This record gives sequence, C-alpha cells and structure tokens, in this order.
Amino acid sequence: MTTAKSVKKVPQYCYQCVAGPDLLTVKVEDGVATEIEPNFSASDVHPGAGKCCVKAYGIIQKTYSPNRLLQPMKRTNPKKGREEDPGFVPISWDEAFDIVAAKMHEIRAKGLRNAEGYPRAAASFGGGGIPTYYMGTFPAFLAAWGPVDLSFGSGQGVSCTHSEHLYGELWHRAFTVCPDTPSCNYVLSFGGNVEASGGVVGGWRHGEARARGLKRIDFEPHLSVTAAASAEWVPIKPKTDAAFLFGMIHVLVHEMPRESLDVFFLKQHTGSPYLVGPNGFYLRDPVTRKPLLWDLKRNAAVPFDTPDTDPALEGSFTLDALEVGADGQEWQHRGYAGETSFSKLLTRVKSYTPEWAEQICDIKTGTVRRIAAEWVEQAQVGATVEIEGEVLPYRPVSIQFGRTVNNGWGAYECVWARTLLACLVGGLEVPGGTLGTTVRLNRPATTRQASVKINEDGFMYYPMNPTDKATWAPTPAVRNAHATMVPLSASSPWSTALGPTHFSWMFQKESPENWPKVTAPDIWFCYRTNPSISFWDTKEVSKRIAEFPFIVAFAYSYDETNHMADVLLPECTDIESTQLIRIGGSKFIEQFWDHEGFALRQPAVEPRGDTRDFTEIATELAVRAGLLEEYNEAINRGSACVRLSDENYDFSLDPKQRHTPDVIWDRTCRAASAELTDGKDSDGLDWYKEHGLRTRPISRLSWYLFPELKKQGIRFEMPFQERLYRVGLELGNRLHEHGIKWWDTQLEEYGGLPTIHDFPGIWERETIKHGGSLEEFPFWLITSRSMQYAWGSNVGVQLMDEVAGNMRGHKGVVINRSRAEELGIADGDLVEVHSYTGKTQGPAVLSQGIRPDTLLMMGQFDHWATPYAKDMKAPSMNSLIAMSMALTDSTGSGADLVRVGVKKLESV
Amino acid sequence: MPRYIMTADLRRCIGCQTCTASCRQTNATPPGVQWRQVIDVESGEYPDVRRSFIPVGCQHCGDPPCMHVCPTTATYQRDDGLVEIDYEKCIGCGYCAVACPYQARHITHRATFAYGDKPMAPEEARFDARRMSVATKCTFCMDRVDAAKENGLTPGVDPEVTPACVNSCIAGVLAFGDKQDPHSNVSKLLDETQHFRMHEELGADPGFYYIWDKK
Amino acid sequence: MRVTPWHQTNWDWRAAANFIGGGTGAGLLFFATLASGSLEAYRFQALLALALIGLGLTCVWAEIGRPWRALNVFLHPQTSWMTREGIVAVPLFLCGLAAVWFGGGIFVGVAALLGVVFLYCQGRILHAAKGIPAWREPMIVPLILATGFTEGAALATALAAVLPGTSPRWLAGALLGALILRRIAWTLYFRAIEKTGLPTKAMDVMRPFGAKFEMIGQLAPEILVVAGIFYGGVLPFFAVLAGLVAVATGWWLKYTIVARAAYNQGYALPILPVRGQGEVKPGIKPGWTK
Repeated sequence: MTTAKSVKKVPQYCYQCVAGPDLLTVKVEDGVATEIEPNFSASDVHPGAGKCCVKAYGIIQKTYSPNRLLQPMKRTNPKKGREEDPGFVPISWDEAFDIVAAKMHEIRAKGLRNAEGYPRAAASFGGGGIPTYYMGTFPAFLAAWGPVDLSFGSGQGVSCTHSEHLYGELWHRAFTVCPDTPSCNYVLSFGGNVEASGGVVGGWRHGEARARGLKRIDFEPHLSVTAAASAEWVPIKPKTDAAFLFGMIHVLVHEMPRESLDVFFLKQHTGSPYLVGPNGFYLRDPVTRKPLLWDLKRNAAVPFDTPDTDPALEGSFTLDALEVGADGQEWQHRGYAGETSFSKLLTRVKSYTPEWAEQICDIKTGTVRRIAAEWVEQAQVGATVEIEGEVLPYRPVSIQFGRTVNNGWGAYECVWARTLLACLVGGLEVPGGTLGTTVRLNRPATTRQASVKINEDGFMYYPMNPTDKATWAPTPAVRNAHATMVPLSASSPWSTALGPTHFSWMFQKESPENWPKVTAPDIWFCYRTNPSISFWDTKEVSKRIAEFPFIVAFAYSYDETNHMADVLLPECTDIESTQLIRIGGSKFIEQFWDHEGFALRQPAVEPRGDTRDFTEIATELAVRAGLLEEYNEAINRGSACVRLSDENYDFSLDPKQRHTPDVIWDRTCRAASAELTDGKDSDGLDWYKEHGLRTRPISRLSWYLFPELKKQGIRFEMPFQERLYRVGLELGNRLHEHGIKWWDTQLEEYGGLPTIHDFPGIWERETIKHGGSLEEFPFWLITSRSMQYAWGSNVGVQLMDEVAGNMRGHKGVVINRSRAEELGIADGDLVEVHSYTGKTQGPAVLSQGIRPDTLLMMGQFDHWATPYAKDMKAPSMNSLIAMSMALTDSTGSGADLVRVGVKKLESV
Repeated sequence: MPRYIMTADLRRCIGCQTCTASCRQTNATPPGVQWRQVIDVESGEYPDVRRSFIPVGCQHCGDPPCMHVCPTTATYQRDDGLVEIDYEKCIGCGYCAVACPYQARHITHRATFAYGDKPMAPEEARFDARRMSVATKCTFCMDRVDAAKENGLTPGVDPEVTPACVNSCIAGVLAFGDKQDPHSNVSKLLDETQHFRMHEELGADPGFYYIWDKK
Repeated sequence: MRVTPWHQTNWDWRAAANFIGGGTGAGLLFFATLASGSLEAYRFQALLALALIGLGLTCVWAEIGRPWRALNVFLHPQTSWMTREGIVAVPLFLCGLAAVWFGGGIFVGVAALLGVVFLYCQGRILHAAKGIPAWREPMIVPLILATGFTEGAALATALAAVLPGTSPRWLAGALLGALILRRIAWTLYFRAIEKTGLPTKAMDVMRPFGAKFEMIGQLAPEILVVAGIFYGGVLPFFAVLAGLVAVATGWWLKYTIVARAAYNQGYALPILPVRGQGEVKPGIKPGWTK
C-alpha cells in the first residue's frame, strides 16, 4: 500500500433508505474515494451520534463497480420482453437527448392527457421518496411538464406500512408511528423490525434504551433481529395481531378497574363521551349540529365544546337529538337513549376475551392478560413531566408495528387498537408514549403541528378525497385511481404513490367491470426503481412494462426494468453529484431530532465515464422540451429542496436563463442558510461543501402533538369512527351509482367500530379459490427487512452481500427445524417453495426461531438481469404473490403474505 | 503503559454489520476477510429461543498464544497491549492461525477483488502486496492508536485515533480505551456493568470484554 | 457465517506429513541405534529416518506462504516449539549424517537423542496450538511420542526381516512395549478429550476412528507380535506384518488428528446478554460435545 499524496474527507449524506439521511464523510486519496466514515462533526446534533448505516459503506463499491453504465445507450431491438435482447448500443448524450426530446415534443403536440384522461407521461421512483434526494432538480422538470402519473408503483402503497400511513395521519398526523424511544420504558412491537428498518437513529436509540432497561416484547412469527434484541419473543401466528390487541383492550376495559385507565384523558381529549345514535352516527345538537356528550355536572346533554363539563364516559342517556348520516341524510330523535362511544366500545369488545385471542394468535395462555397488566402498570397513569416549562402527561408505554401487520386486511383493526390502547392510558402524543413522526398527506407538511386545525366535530381536520355526489371523481386522474377509491389517501404530492399502486399494473391487463380502460403511458421515466422484480407477480409486471411504448431509464447498471427501456441515461452516483437535503425536525420512523437544518451531497470524486449530474440532465431535458422557464420557476418555488425567496431574502433564478447545477445549488444553499437564520446569513454552496451541514435547535415540544391539540381544544378521534363510517357509505353510494360492485367487500371496512374477522382466512380462501388446498400449501410465507440490502440497489454491491451473509437467512428459506426434519429437509438442502401463482427455490435454513407453520424469505432477489445479483440464486417471495382484488383492503393495500408449500429438490 | 482493550455491550448489538463493513473498508481487506465480524447465534428450542449477536475478532490477548507459537517473532505484543504482525517477517506458516482460539487470523494466497480478478480503483490504490501469504488480523487500527501519541488525542474518545469499528458502531456497542486508566471510558463502563471474556478458561487473557447486564 | 467450530484451513496433509515423517523418522533412528545388528543396517535405517524427517520438513516448507523467508523460522526459540523443532533439526541432520558417515561413535547416540527431542518438539507444537481443541490436549504430547516410538520400532522390526544381523525377537519385544505405551497414551488422550469435550464434529471424527484404531492399530499388531514371539516360526512374517500395520496406523492416527479432527474452538458465551428487562439465560457453546 503506497502512501497517498493528497488526502481529503468530503462531507456527504446518504439517503438510501427512509430511515436516513445519515451524515458521513468520504475519504478521497489522490482523487480516489476509499473510505466512508460517520461525519463526526454532526454527533452533537444527530440523534444517532452522527453515525451512518452499513449501507453507506457500500457507496465506494457502488461508485467504482465495473457493472456501472458509463455512457448513454439506446435500444436497437424494438421488441420488448424478458426474453428479448434489448440490443443496447452506446450513443452520445446529444443523441440521447435528441431521442427523448423528439418523443416529448410528439407527446406535448398530442396533449398531456390521453383519450382516457390519463397523463401521457408517467414516472416511477423507488419507495419512500428516497430517489428524490438523488435526482437533483428532476422534480422541477416534472413540475414544469404538467400532469405526470406517479401511480405505477414498485411495491409502495401495498407493501409499505400503509394503513399506518393513512389512519395515522387521520388520527394524529402520523404518517409513521414510533415510541418516544428516548423516554419510553415499555414497547410492544408487532412485526416492527426497528433494528433493521429504523436506521442509525433507531439502532442507537433502542441500544441506549435497552441499556437503561426499556422492556420490549416482540410479536412476530419468526425471531427477527428486533425479536433478538427484545426482552421477550412471542411467536404469534401471521395476521392475528389485531386479535391480540383486541384481547388487551378487553382486559383493560372489562377486567381492570376503570380508574386504572386515564379517565380524564378519555373524557376530555378523546371522542369517548360522544353520544351515538341508532343509525351509527353521533347524536347532535339540533341547533348547532355539534355532537353531544352527557355532562354529569349539569346532568344534561351538551355540545362537546361546552366549557366546564364532566362528561359521562359510559352509560346510556335519554335525550332529543339530531343524527346526520351519509349524503346529508338526517334523523330527528326524541327521547332516545343514546350510549356514549365508550359504551359502544365496551359492547364491541365484550366477546374479545384473552382466551379467545390466545387461541386465534396461537400463543401461550396467560400472555394477553399478563401483558395488558404490564401495559397499564408501566403507563404510570397520572405521572407528568415538564418539558421546556410545559407540564405534560408522561406515559412511557408504546406499541410499534411493522409491515404485514399494518398493511393489508387486518391492518386497520391493528392501527385502531394501537391508537386506542394509547388513549386508554392517556399515552398518545405525550412524552414517553406513542408518537407520529412525520406528515406526508396533510399540508402544510413543514411540521406535524402546521396542519392541525379543528373540524366542526371537535376532531382534527383531515383532507379526505370527496365522496359526495357533487365532487366525487368518477374518472380517475391517474391510473391507480387513489382519489376515486381511497378517500383517506388525500391529495398531497405523496397521495398517488399511496393509492392501490398495483391497480395500475392489474387494470392495464384487464379493467374490472364498469371501470375506465387503463392504457400504458406514452413515456415512462424510471429511476432507482425495479418493479420487474420488486413488486408482486413479477412475471406479469414485467409483461406490462414491456407494453410501455417508450421508456427513459436513468440507469446505474442494467436491471430487470430497464431491460425494457428505450434510452438509458447514466447519472453521476451518490458521491459524484450535488444536492441539498433537509435534515432533522421530525421525519420517518425514529428520525425526530432536537435540531433541524440542511446537509449537502457533493462531488467527492470526478464522475466516472460519461455520466452526468442529474441536475444537468434535468436542465437539458427542460431546455429541449421548451420548458426552461417553467422549470426555473419550479425551482424558485422550492422543487429543489427550499424556496429560493421569502419575505426576508430572494435568491431566485432568472427564469429565462439556463443555469448550471452549481448556480442552482448555490442559490438553494443560500436560501437554506437564510431560512435557518431568518434571512441573516446567506452562505452558499462553498460553505456547505466545506461544512457539510447547517442546523439550528428546535423545541422538543415539537415531538408531541398533544400540546397543540390541547391548545386548540381538539380531541383525538377515538374510539368511534363516525367520519369513516359516513365516508364509506358515501363512497359505496357513488360506486353503486356507477355500477361498481367489486369494491363492496372493501367498503365493509368502513364502520363506527372495527370488528375482528378471520383475517388469515382471507388468504386461505383465496388459495382455495385458485384451486389450491391448505394441505397442499400448509405454510405461511412471510418476509423480513434486511438492513444490509434494503432500498438502495445494494443487491449488486459485493460488500453488502458479504456482510449480509453474517446474518442468518438472507439467501435461503428459513424453516422451523423440527418441521424441516419431519419433512426430511436438512440445513442447506435446496428446496422449492410454491404458491398458487408460482414457485421459487433456494437453500433451506433450519432455525428454532420460527413458527412451525411459517416460512421466511428475507431476500427478494428474483434478479435475472442485474449484474452480480442475477448470480445469487436466492429465493424471492415476489413471484409467489398475486396481485389480487380480494387481497386488497379498503385503503388499497395488500400484504407480503401467501400460503405456500415446500418440497426438497436436492440434498446438500 | 496503557493497556488498550475493547468492550462490546451485547445488550445493544443488533448484528447490523456496520463495524464489519467499516473494518473491511478502512483496512482494505480482500473479500471475505473480515478482521471484525458480528456472528449471529441462535440458542434454545422453539418457542423458547434466543438469538445473540456477538462481535468477534482478534482479542489482543495479554498472553497471546499466537505470539508464543510464532516461529519468526513476526507476531509481537506492544507495551500498550496491542498484538501486531510484522508482514515482512512472517513466513505464512499458519501456526498462529491454529493457535488462536478466536479464529481471528487470516492468510490469503491469491489476490481477490470485489468484482472478479480486476481491482476497482480503490482496491488498486490500496492493494498491499506485503499482505499476501502472510497472517493478517485486526490491528485495533494500530496506526490510529500510534497517531494519538503524536497529536495528544485519546484513543476511544477522539474518533481520529479510535478503531474504525468503534467509530462506525450505530448502537453504542463497541468501545475502546485504556484499561489501566481507572478514569477511562472503558474502565468506567466495566465498573458499571457485568461482563465476561470469551474462552477465558483458555488462559489467553483476552483484551475484549463482553458486557451482558448492568450491575 | 460460521458459529460452530469449523475445520481449520491453514494446515493440510502437508502438515500431517511432517508429523508422520518426523515421528516415524525419529522413532526409527532411535531403534536403529538401539537394535541394529550391523553397520549397514544402521546406515540404511538412519538414512531412511533422516529422509523421512527431511521429507516431512519439506512438506511443511511447501505449505508455508513465504517459503523464501523460511530461515526466519529460527528467530523465536524463547517460546516457539516450531523454532525449537527447526533448531533441533539442524544438529539432528548433522549428527545423523556424521553417524552414518563415521559408522559409530558419539554421533550415533547424539543423533538418536536429538531425534527424540525433535519428536518431543512435534508433540509440543500440537499442544501449543490452543485454537484446535483436539491438539491442545496435554495428552497429545505422550501420544505423539508413543506413536513415534511405535512407528520407529515397527519399521525397524519390519526392516529386520530384510536387514542382516538384527534380532527380530528383541525388536518384536520392543515393538510390543511401544504398542503398549501407545495404547496407554491413546487411552489417556481419548479419555481426556472425552472429559474436557471437543467440537462435536471433531468428536464425530475421533470416536469412530478410535474404535477402529484400537482394533486395527493396536489389537491386531499386538496379537501378531505376541504370536510371533511365542511361535518363533511365524515371527519373521508376523513381525513384518505387525510392523507395517503399526506404522500405517500411526500415520493414520496423525493424519486423522492433524488433518481431519482439527476443528477450531468456535465461539461461546458463558451467559446470554440481558435485553432490556429480559431474563438471564445460561450460556451457550454451540457445536461442542460439552
């Protein structure tokens, strides 16, 4: 090893997964990037001590990989498909832009929407909004373009923690939900694999919490890394988590003294005392139309916002009232004995006893009652804590969920029960308790508090997509129809990706009854996404992509999706290009900080080959499409991270001029500096290049929504869901008016109080419907997050592949040891796993840490084109899962779950 | 003289392998050669099962069997407790590798790279022919510890002079410092916790302490 | 990912060959000194012994990563039994060759003695390999010595049939004695590894090997030798047969221990970590017999 002549450490960020960004430095020796290190200068402001995740260490190999595409390519074989050789040939950037520009002009000449009303342009990016932080000013290009269909998903919207996103935002501005880990003492984690998905901050905080004695109980069918790091593992049967939680609710409300709960919180800060009428809607004051509660002080029904009341938590009270149903239907009641919402709850959960739950969940008798008692005991009802002069309730208990628990059928019941369990002990949005950590559907999204405002019923306003006859949208504006079908998906820039993103693929093949025809987009941009292998029913998705007439892929290497592309545009990767990102504040999962600010990604090394900075590519596309002015205006409005002007400052770009990436980012950096200092400072790109990040402290009170709700007199909408019930009825009316019956099962999910159904049975019945039997498919197949691989194309990075190999199960089929031995399967034997849709194979990994009725596939590596990854020969569940209407819940979500069979192919 | 040791708080470890990746990169070891590694150990029978993650590697023993057997004195122990290898002296006999009860030593006879036989630019820049066919292992990032003497920094406290794995650890598992100094980070940590050393019965006086509970 | 002990990969058959050549060679040199009936017989046996030792050392030389630095092996006599083995090897060869050249004198005795020291070094080499449980057991030293002597006596016995002047009966007696010593050493060794425990995979090698070795490697040559001693008529044939069997099984023993049962220590936890408020659980030692 020779000693380098010049050595420098260049600050960067890594945002390869939603649990970031992580702040780091790249060591550059004689112009070659050699090492990644945490950015130690960030340790004082970063809640994970400034560390960076294992994936960041793969960036070096990612940059220098011989498998990278280093110049633009065009397709020479007009036929598309997995079996077709695309015949990619290298071309100049000029030729590449000419090809794309010609297509853009052709499309704009025809009109931005096609005959069916769908945008002619579509774009897909990887999950969680991550690619945005690598694509420079491309969002400004899309904004300049006009309508773009973002609904061709690659798993987002269905495999994400979907119900948590939608209902979380409704109930407590919680796109993601998290314990207040720094001060929580007791966590119940249902599939919430935070040690693999919570990033550096999750890893750091939970490590600290364990060392100080936080008790976490993990409920998962297999012993995940989070279960490993928990005090106790409860091997729960897949998709029965809701039953456990309902059992806990039963114990709390039927077996424990009422005073052990936070009765004050329930009465004053939730909808528990609201009186409910015979049709399932609130009983309202006929004059003010406000929901009524029974005031024990006055012994009379009063509107919910009457001062100085002692609302009755439970009971039945006779009164005259108005009831307002769906589509404006009204009922006047005289002398009706209205029950409180809480009493309705008592009735609803009466039969959900611990014994009932334990049988459904297939767990040890006594577990539900024991944990319910611990929940209440650890909640310390009545305790308070002072934060920055404000006295707040302190309830150090929380429940965390993960994928497959909080998406797909049964997820609504889980997230409702979780939110209710927090409310029962007064532990929602208070120190120590259950918090939301980011907002994506409500606007403004600057803070979680910013969008909080009271609605007419005393709950938080929520921007539901309309369901009334006048404004409901019968013709979808995008192919997955989220605004039409899913009122909760709202209408923020994130909403499209949160619709039923499989519908875009499914309906393109065959639209359901009375549904507008779904056609392929004329042009599809894709970046850092690979639906050909990462979505379900991968064979079908690949076929749909092959039907797209023109695909522009921003490409790092060949992959299964850009195999169908017409033009490949290689961009500078992570450490070769410039971009600014917001850090801190409150973001996904555990990313809630005591600071907020900005961090820069910058070229640490010269770009390899003929790759280009994404901002340069976006600018060129804008110029060639004749959209430069609109593009610059979009940047000025904040498409590249921050608004360039405010009342205190103005760093706007001249819209008519073409600007270099450095100018664009310099202005952005200046605006960022000004935003953080109320216009005082205006340090630009050079300052950020040197320092890497800039922050300012924020109030810890911003972590908790409760103070804001208290200030505005808003109640948490728990337990009764009058609003959802009404919206569901209205949506049903609209769909039936248009002859659509295929959503009726989903409509049943909209109700005042949820009910437990046989959720695993939904998957079992679907298997049987397709000609399978449960004897033929005796196992549940589930998946689990890998910290080493997840999100960032790390499957082709040798270092990640190698270190992931230190953790069990990454490349095989994990099966219970005793069960495997019964089947004559030994560790390492090649096995085939099959479902009614397909089959996959890989080595058996025998483990005691998995239920006998469950198989686990961590990796989803169905690669057949991506260099390196295609040689892995690891199994993938994606080819085993159908895209199915029956398996889609009312929010448009499904789950990574399927019934499978297994057989041995070869002995070791 | 100081006695540098490492501690691993097993209560915290989540097997993320960040230390493994960081070590591989910092020390430019070839594919598969992990001087620092976290193993994933399952124990018990369903449903009473545990899974533990254990950082392993050279324990920089106080009485290192590897050093005693080394016929060339290539393996030596420094006054500060670090056990090191002189690559110029080592004959690659492998005796140290079979003497080490911690499986910490590696000998590679053929240059390998992440993607086939051709090195990428960083691999080429950092390829060290001296390491071929000789024993290699964790050095506790010796160059950093040495730098501390020159610049007055404290290993285990100042990242510039702290082993890469410790710097990288995202769960606060790994710590490094001077056990002779009663006020050092590691001394305090060991005072406050219950800990053990692996294979202590073999008498090598390992310099790697595993924390398993508070006191 | 490997958690349970796996087979070490640094020493292969070439290392085993050193213990085979060194043991048989040193043993033969010893018995050639004691029992050669003629100068020619001594010269032949001594040269053969030196060749065996030299072959073993050559195998090791071929195994090391940096063969051209081989002389560095002499740098650590303070603690390294490999250095000591190397240091002993030099005068052993010099004395051995001198003894062959001069055909007698002090060199003969010194060479035999150095051979024994060389053999002892080999035993200590294995014992000092603390990472390999099947090697580090202290009873490995007497076992290596005993099998070296047995192999030497056995080879000398076999050679006596073709070399002039040597008393096969005397040698047969010596072989019987060596075999008994080897039986004792083996039993002590095996009991010790059973008592302290071995990696399961190592024990899976040693246990079935042991059963066969006791029959083929011990009982068979012992019967043959005893039969030969009592029935002089069959002695030459039985002695040759017993000798060859005892040599081959000694080699088999060393090959098994060095190249097949050399599983490493693996990892163990004396107690499992407490995660948050979890219970304390007893420790684990995956992949071990105890």
